[in-house]
Amino acid sequence: MTEELKVAVERKNQGAILYTKGYINNVGGEEIANRAYELMDGGVKTLLLNLRETKIVNSIGISILIEIIEKMMDKGGKIAFCCLTPVIHKTFQIMGLANYASIYDNEEVAVKELGM
Amino acid sequence: MTATADRQMELTLPMVPDIEIAAARAVANLAREMGMSSEHVDEMQHAVIEACINAREHSGCADNRIYLRFLGTSDSDGSRIDIWVTDHGKGFDPQEARSRRPVPGTPHKRGRGLQLIELHMDEVDISTTRNGGTTIHMVKYEKRHD
Repeated sequence: MTEELKVAVERKNQGAILYTKGYINNVGGEEIANRAYELMDGGVKTLLLNLRETKIVNSIGISILIEIIEKMMDKGGKIAFCCLTPVIHKTFQIMGLANYASIYDNEEVAVKELGM
Repeated sequence: MTATADRQMELTLPMVPDIEIAAARAVANLAREMGMSSEHVDEMQHAVIEACINAREHSGCADNRIYLRFLGTSDSDGSRIDIWVTDHGKGFDPQEARSRRPVPGTPHKRGRGLQLIELHMDEVDISTTRNGGTTIHMVKYEKRHD
């Protein structure tokens, strides 16, 4: 049984938005990481992850998201999330992501706040 | 009013990648049939997923199976779903696992599965014995809003 995550990228003037669709597990997390690292290697310093079409994230997927945040922080950039379900939002808080990445209710506010 | 057993489901699943999604979908279907809120459905799905991942990654069982039982009951006050996730593996020490638990809100890459289960469910009870397997029993309540 597979549950493939799809990731789409939209480049902005200042940064990029990653749109995820599906289950963020170990494989999905790695897919996000690959896309994020490509962007970071290309000089992107601001990343917004829009999880509007992701309803489930497991603890392994979250551990990979933490690695992405750490890598971006090492490069002096920032990562933010938007459009989380209430349960994913609560999960991110307990897992510590909320301390190192901003979380916004919607994309419009996030883009404005991040200056993208 | 006496609670009645409205719905019951038992599943035996192989320990293969992403099988936790099948378990999560099954409990979500049962919960939706019982009229539970989408947020409670999501919480149960996340908890079942973490319990299945724990079984798959840490149980070390020989039969490579996860045994699940879902029981939905309701009465005039509302409804509840009991979930049992069982493996026939080596067992573990829950106290020792809790002692290794990171502080909530601090970034930590692994070791959050049980913590997330307890976060998402109203009651969690772990029965485990050395080489005798592990059962995580968890409960979600939903009060009736009339």
